[in-house]
Amino acid sequence: MIRICFALLMAGLTAVQAFAAEDNKTQFPASQTESGKLTIYSTTDLAAMKPLIEDFQKSSPDVSIDYIEYLTNELNALASEACRKQEPLGDLLLSSSVDQLLKLANDGCATAHTSPETLRVAEWANWRDEVFGFTYEPAVFVYNASKVPPAEVPRTHVELADLLRERLDYYRGRVGTYDIRLSGIGYLLAFNDARQTTTVFGRLLESMARASTVARCCTGEILEEVGKGNLYIGYNMLGSYAYDAAQRHPELRVVVPRDYTLVLSRGALIPKGAERADLGARFLDYLLSERGQSVARTNAFYFTESGELPPGVDGPQNLKESGVAQPIRIGPALLAVQDRAQRQRFIEDWSQSLIELNSPTWTRE
Amino acid sequence: MRPEIIKNEPSLFGRLARRISVVLFIGAALLVTAAWYYAETAANKAYDRLLVGAALQMAESLSVEDGTLTARLPTSAFELLGLAERDRIFYRVIDTKGQTLTGYDDLKTPSPLDSARNVLSVEEGVYKGEPVRIARATRVLADPAVSGHAYVIVAQTNEARLALTRELTLRATILVFVMSLLAFVGAMLAIRYALQPVERLGTAVRRRDPHDLTPVTVDVPRELDPFVGSINHFMGRLNERVDLLQRFIADAAHQIRTPLTALTAQIDLLGAGKLDKAGRQHFNRVKERTSELARLTNQLLSHAMVIHRADSVQLEPISLVDVARRAYRAAIPITVDPDIVISFEAPDDRPFVLGDAVSLREAIVNVIDNALRHGTDQRLEVRVRASDTQAFVEVEDDGPGIPPESWEKATQRFATSKSHEGSSGLGFAIAQEVASAHGGTLSFRARDERGFTVVLTLPLFKGVVK
Repeated sequence: MIRICFALLMAGLTAVQAFAAEDNKTQFPASQTESGKLTIYSTTDLAAMKPLIEDFQKSSPDVSIDYIEYLTNELNALASEACRKQEPLGDLLLSSSVDQLLKLANDGCATAHTSPETLRVAEWANWRDEVFGFTYEPAVFVYNASKVPPAEVPRTHVELADLLRERLDYYRGRVGTYDIRLSGIGYLLAFNDARQTTTVFGRLLESMARASTVARCCTGEILEEVGKGNLYIGYNMLGSYAYDAAQRHPELRVVVPRDYTLVLSRGALIPKGAERADLGARFLDYLLSERGQSVARTNAFYFTESGELPPGVDGPQNLKESGVAQPIRIGPALLAVQDRAQRQRFIEDWSQSLIELNSPTWTRE
Repeated sequence: MRPEIIKNEPSLFGRLARRISVVLFIGAALLVTAAWYYAETAANKAYDRLLVGAALQMAESLSVEDGTLTARLPTSAFELLGLAERDRIFYRVIDTKGQTLTGYDDLKTPSPLDSARNVLSVEEGVYKGEPVRIARATRVLADPAVSGHAYVIVAQTNEARLALTRELTLRATILVFVMSLLAFVGAMLAIRYALQPVERLGTAVRRRDPHDLTPVTVDVPRELDPFVGSINHFMGRLNERVDLLQRFIADAAHQIRTPLTALTAQIDLLGAGKLDKAGRQHFNRVKERTSELARLTNQLLSHAMVIHRADSVQLEPISLVDVARRAYRAAIPITVDPDIVISFEAPDDRPFVLGDAVSLREAIVNVIDNALRHGTDQRLEVRVRASDTQAFVEVEDDGPGIPPESWEKATQRFATSKSHEGSSGLGFAIAQEVASAHGGTLSFRARDERGFTVVLTLPLFKGVVK
């Protein structure tokens, strides 16, 4: 993951494609005689998907799976290009950047799929039976418990902004978040933050800028740094990765904000004309099924729409019932997020506020 | 009259039903077409408003910042379009120089952008191979740095419109069909009801006594009046013909009677004394035949009289016993065989019936005469009795009687009863005629150990006798 990130920074999108395709393909051979090969292009870390893929192969032992991992923006670029050329990319696309999937579907690059399983999907997480949300992932704060004293732990967005303002020197260069220029999901979360409360987001952005916030391409990197203690606080981390990191780093703690919590549903889409659309649909059904959801809850994504928060997470008892959860609806409104003029200006504004201020030297590789 | 009885013949009901269902079907088809048309218009109007609203919001979001035109497309515009849940959305913002500011570069309006200077327009079009509705909003900019017309084009696929059109049409169709069905059932019931008088008229005509040639008096709707009129007119003419015929028979019988009487007298004068054995035999046969002819002529006259009186004489309460007794006296000739035991049995002067004494007497005379001539061996009994509602005149003899299979034939004119010489002539026919004219019947009781009985049954008169 780190390597791709650097490569992307250095060489840009086109150069990275060949390299990435070589390196990020993981093969899961069929345990029985192979009757078909399912190709999944995904932005989800292999570690999270592995239990799901292996469990799927238990029920479909004749299917071999190629799992190819990309960053959200790369995947989007590849998929739109493939759709334009009418050479479908894989049999199933999984992306945390649902706005990009929605744009693909809107451009006619998706195949509709209905089954008893898809009927169980919440209405806000299904568009045209083409894009399905299959996870429930709050955007959370993380902090390193050895660096952030208990009294200072921020539990709302305003508290975070105030903390950075009050303890500016202590936290300078010690807060990390997504680099929205590189990460589609970072952009999606930031855009929705801005939509939630203009003033709070403005204050937070300003505070983060003054605190010389570190921006990185991927959740994983920031979580590592916070776990090690190089960064003290991580903002807008995906709950599943954060919780996974907290298991590995005892010092890393997860906070679900109590004023509002954006909830992202990872999207799945079957490309139009996919060679083995049937296998893509079968895997999608598995992801949405009771069994798949239960594997995801225990091994991969941890958070669920109806259930309680996983143990050790600081936040409201039940996200849905507390009314804090703000799911990012999979619908045409995401097209506004994907508007290129919008995106350009939003990222420009964001960069101006955040990046052009000095970051500490150790963050520049 | 019922369609299922008369097969292969076109029934009025079937014809009406067919015509009405054709009309209803055409009407329903027209209504459904109209409903579809209106539904489509309504759906288009509803969703065009969303489209136009979104285009306006987007046009409104255009602003000039630092000398360049920028578009901050509001999320709400997309959410507005998102109300058509399943529809794909395409848009394009074009700046004053005709360059695409953002959105889909290849999205075009069907008509040139500057063709109409209307601020708004909505058109049909095709984009990415899909039929779409395309709205265009024009924004006039008069900034010193940027001036001219900027355009926002928003296109949306038609799935939600079609779904709404389909739903509205479907509901209207269900309504139309339910209404048509109700109308059809209602019409069928109405036709059945309207055709009832025809059926009633048919039944009335069918149930009529064959001899009843009086006008039909069933209540029928105005429309059937000509039909009933024709029937009555025809019956009137038939009645006249029958009257004429009867009068002719009566006249003929009357005319025949005079020479016949003379003939009888001549035969009596002729005497049998001078004839030899064979001649006497012939003479007797001539005498016999002549008396038979006289009787027949009398019966013809009597028959004509009975029929005439049935039509013209007012019925009045009379004592059946009186009538029967008078008939009994008239029917038994003085020359009757003294060996025959003849009796008359009746209550004092009851029962009373409503009737014509002359006709009734004629009827009873004929029955007794018939019994004397063809039945009686040694005994003849005439009885009058009554039940709660009916009065009976019974004529019983100890003869062989008429076998049941010949009963029906016996009451017909000139039917011969069994192998006896001569024929019963008109006797039973007259009695039958009189009985039915009085609302009664003439019937037979099978022979038992006592004998064979002819029964004349008449309804009892219940009123007060003056």
